[in-house]
Amino acid sequence: MSKRIFQVSSFTPLQQADGVLAAGSFAGLKPGASTDILKIGKVLLQGQASSSAVTATMLARSSTLAITPTALGLPNSDGPANIAATAVTNAPVPFVAAATAPNRSPAVGIPRLNLTFNAFGGIIQWQTNPGSEEEWVAVGNTTTSNSETVLSSANVGTAGLIGADIFYEIL
Amino acid sequence: MTKGVGGYLLIDHRASPGLPEDVALLAGYDPRFTGEGKVYEVNTMTCSHCGSSVVPNPMRIRPRAKCLECDNREGHYICDGCDFIRSQPGYVHTPIRKTMDDAKDGKTLQGSPPKLLMP
Repeated sequence: MSKRIFQVSSFTPLQQADGVLAAGSFAGLKPGASTDILKIGKVLLQGQASSSAVTATMLARSSTLAITPTALGLPNSDGPANIAATAVTNAPVPFVAAATAPNRSPAVGIPRLNLTFNAFGGIIQWQTNPGSEEEWVAVGNTTTSNSETVLSSANVGTAGLIGADIFYEIL
Repeated sequence: MTKGVGGYLLIDHRASPGLPEDVALLAGYDPRFTGEGKVYEVNTMTCSHCGSSVVPNPMRIRPRAKCLECDNREGHYICDGCDFIRSQPGYVHTPIRKTMDDAKDGKTLQGSPPKLLMP
């Protein structure tokens, strides 16, 4: 399948301890079917804060998946990077709100990617090597601590406004 | 960026006050390169068991775990969490690629882990 971009224009990933994430403080993404595999190859965060704001964002997995994610709306977006791409059979589920927000996994052995930066003028980017198969992988759409990826902040500093772009692929 | 496995992390604070030293250390960064006006670039390592990407701590002197079942020549990096799980009794070697293959074959158990449901 083609590469896709999940873009969240502007949100504040409120600093918070592990647990059910506060509304409006996260960006979530999961495959659309149980046999789909989602591979994140690049994460780009741009600071938009108007004053110094240590923002301890992290890519993590949900230990309890979001219930009834709200369909994504403008100005956020998700779609293939190649506009002529073939439509995916089961569209992935990107979301920034849900009837019940996801619970960020606190278990050891469940990976997280630390992306701490200063949202006042800072930029952070993580990506895999070109051609590398070693990307952030999520399998299926219902497995806890696996299927769902959430971008949110650890309980450090005072998070500022950021924009987020997640480049990924559905297999 | 180096060739091969893993990834690449760029933290650009050229137009930012950057991170305080304590926060940088907490995050596992080298604080010399995350302050005001600095750019921090580092190669990340990918765990072959859980698929997580790890920012290597430059201060670390303990050896990092490797799995010779994933790569029988040099061993493939695995994160500390997976190394702990690997040391538990009854551990069955399950790299992320097997999890992906199982999912594609419809073998992956969906839903909550059985340990959460059964006493």
